[in-house]
Amino acid sequence: MSQFLEQLASLRAGGPAWLQAVHDAGAAILRDAAWPTRKTESWKYTSLRPLEHINFLAERGHAINADLSQHFAIANFDAYRLVFVNGVFSANLSDLQGLPAGVELIRFADANASQQELLVKYLNSVVEADCHLFAAVNQQLIEDGVFLHVGKNIELNKPVQIVWLSSAQEKPFHIPQRFLLLAENHSSVILVEQFVSTADSQNSFTHGVTELCLQDGARCEHYRIHLEEQSAVHVGGVYASLAANSYLDSFHLGLGGPLKRVDVVINHNGPGADCQLNGVYLPQGNQQIDYHTTIEHRVPNCTTQEVFRGIVADNAKAVFNGRIHIHPQAQKTRAELSNKNLLLSDKAEVNTKPELEIYADDVQCAHGATVARMDENALHYFLMRGISRKEAEVMLSFGFINELIGQLKQEALTDYLRPVLTHWFGRETSLVDELAAAE
Amino acid sequence: MSQEQIDSLIRKEYSAGFVTQIESDTLPPGLDEDVIRFISAKKDEPEWMLEWRLKAYRTWREMTEPTWAHVSYPKIDFDQISYYSAPKSLADKPKSLDEVDPQLLETYKKLGIPLHEQEMLAGVAVDAVFDSVSVATTFREKLKDAGVIFCPISEAIREYPELVQKYLGSVVPQKDNYYAALNSAVFSDGSFVYIPKGVRCPMELSTYFRINESKTGQFERTLIIADEGSQVSYLEGCTAPMRDENQLHAAVVELVALDNAYIKYSTVQNWYPGDAQGKGGIYNFVTKRAVAHTNARVSWTQVETGSAVTWKYPSCVLKGDNSVGEFYSVALTNNFQQADTGTKMIHIGKNTRSTIVSKGISAGKSSNAYRGLVRMNPGASGARNYTQCDSLLIGDQCAAHTFPYIESKNPSAVIEHEATTSKVSDDQLFLCQQRGISAEKAVSMIVNGFCKEVFKELPMEFAVEAGKLLEVSLEGSVG
Repeated sequence: MSQFLEQLASLRAGGPAWLQAVHDAGAAILRDAAWPTRKTESWKYTSLRPLEHINFLAERGHAINADLSQHFAIANFDAYRLVFVNGVFSANLSDLQGLPAGVELIRFADANASQQELLVKYLNSVVEADCHLFAAVNQQLIEDGVFLHVGKNIELNKPVQIVWLSSAQEKPFHIPQRFLLLAENHSSVILVEQFVSTADSQNSFTHGVTELCLQDGARCEHYRIHLEEQSAVHVGGVYASLAANSYLDSFHLGLGGPLKRVDVVINHNGPGADCQLNGVYLPQGNQQIDYHTTIEHRVPNCTTQEVFRGIVADNAKAVFNGRIHIHPQAQKTRAELSNKNLLLSDKAEVNTKPELEIYADDVQCAHGATVARMDENALHYFLMRGISRKEAEVMLSFGFINELIGQLKQEALTDYLRPVLTHWFGRETSLVDELAAAE
Repeated sequence: MSQEQIDSLIRKEYSAGFVTQIESDTLPPGLDEDVIRFISAKKDEPEWMLEWRLKAYRTWREMTEPTWAHVSYPKIDFDQISYYSAPKSLADKPKSLDEVDPQLLETYKKLGIPLHEQEMLAGVAVDAVFDSVSVATTFREKLKDAGVIFCPISEAIREYPELVQKYLGSVVPQKDNYYAALNSAVFSDGSFVYIPKGVRCPMELSTYFRINESKTGQFERTLIIADEGSQVSYLEGCTAPMRDENQLHAAVVELVALDNAYIKYSTVQNWYPGDAQGKGGIYNFVTKRAVAHTNARVSWTQVETGSAVTWKYPSCVLKGDNSVGEFYSVALTNNFQQADTGTKMIHIGKNTRSTIVSKGISAGKSSNAYRGLVRMNPGASGARNYTQCDSLLIGDQCAAHTFPYIESKNPSAVIEHEATTSKVSDDQLFLCQQRGISAEKAVSMIVNGFCKEVFKELPMEFAVEAGKLLEVSLEGSVG
């Protein structure tokens, strides 16, 4: 047994009393769990060594008092906001003014009796913690989290922004992150999960589980954006359950790190559900990033469109695993997956595996994957017009992912991400304006 | 098409199911070092070969059966398998077809393999493997003139030890996987081919395999070496009689294509797939791999319609610069058949190219998986891969899967992969039926069209048989 799991076994998390049963269930799963190795299929390409070498579990995060809003502020984006600094809720930075009736947006710690009942019922109702080791780790260690409950037929007037901010501490530490959405019949919500850090070198391990529970006809726009400083370690997952005729549009963006892994599992549980899943990953330096997506089509007449694109620079390594599983009853399913990768350097590496597992015949499924470097012809076109090679490369890289960034339904997010990404490609903001103008 | 029609069509029996009564010299079930010594002694093998087998056996004992494939079957008891079986008539080994046991020839006739007709018809030399020992070899003289060596591997071990020692296990090492290790320890016989430098083999080489003795594992070992600038096309086809007991087949095929050589390896496989209830059938756990040196080209073409469980990944190690690997496959499963098949393309040299075209057809309650690996090593600059895997589903209880592993460590390498899954469309069926074509015939046509890209890669002699096999297998599965 690994040191990590051994240590975990001795940990007891706090939090409200009703969470105790949740902790115990998590601990029970972990008692028999095996530490993943290179032979474990779902961890074949991603090493967990950063977790074995640094003792993250000994310490928990502590809040710090400084103005940190610059790290997560999104211009022209009016939202209900909850901010956690090193896992501790910060009332100063949060803004929950004007929540309409029928909508509950609370911390686990503040849950009243009826809310506790819902939490007990729906927490872990989507995620299969026995199949996802780190979901079980999170389950054993959560002390607080966010619960968003949107009542029937309510269209939430403003987006909900949840910020998980971390900043370096004296000793390595860990932060459990947890979010649960319960969107009742025909409700509608826009949700932004933002993972950021201060600019200095990080020594935290954050582990998060997000559960999205969409009931009949509910609609959810979901953004999960990882922009932590490059030394941050994160293992997390998004687990969604889609009831009949519900709609989920989920967008993911990740910069790399020593270890960064996100599992996305979408369960089509009701006929007519529709899911759009898009993502962009951009590791550089010695970073790695790993997206594992699974779409479970359990019922007929559901659709899935999935597009992930990655640009891998320097010595970085990207892993993408996109699984579509069509169960025997899921006739008339339409599912498509596309994964395109751009390698920018001789040392960059990508491992992709789009999987189809199909047990029903009246379905249309397709997946495609490509790995290549920049198109020489396109580069030549730029050079002919007096644009330097470096500049041309940046523009082409940007163009490769711009399609996905540009089609975000929240324009404010597009505007927020563009400078971050151009900065990633090593450019000044002047180009951002240029590119924005060219749109 | 109505359910009754589907059911009646599905009930189609295996047409090649019968048993030839020939006395066999069979070893009692079980495996230990003495069994290996017995096999080795029986074949008059030199000391080094026995040592090689024993080393493989010791390796095998340390290994565990792989479980990663998407198939399920009852655990194999390796002590219940007999590891050697030879037809009794071996003692007076025939020099020509006239001397071959007429009962044996009758078997081939029933299968529609015109062994003695082939001499005149297609100019195909046949090294027929009946159970484990080669009993008929033709066209040896003609091949000898060209300097081509085509003989049973047991003979090659005695006659050409330096070639065998150099290349045996060089492509598929003993410890490569569980079944390769087992095969290395107990392999009974198989084919050996050597094409000298610059020679284009004057005819297509062919071996028909047939598993005949009940409860006898068939452990074939094939080694093909194409020396610099040579060319060869090798055909392998198999069919087995109806059995209730599961039979294990663990073959190893090694291909070595030296600089500028070209090897084309075609397979039509129609072993007993088990009956409509999923009882019986062959377990086909095969390791096939080729090494392509500079400018060499290796092409695998396979039509897989048989076996209860298939576990097979013909692979290419593209070691030399500019080498080319190709994989064209049609895999058809019906009833309770399970197939986990695909290929590996390992790009090591610069400007290496590979093409993968895989067509999976699943019907009845079968499961058909494509599992492939495309790896671009850091040195594989300018390498190129194109992969296309399509699945066709016939009936609502079958399954089709795609598990492609794509690993790239070189930015100038280009990889493209695409996969689709769909069923035979009602519109297409309707169009054909409207024009007076029966549903069965229509599906057969549609499936043939679906497989066209692969069929056109088959050598002429095989294309006919492949089409026939597919049609027979399909007749029972239209929906």
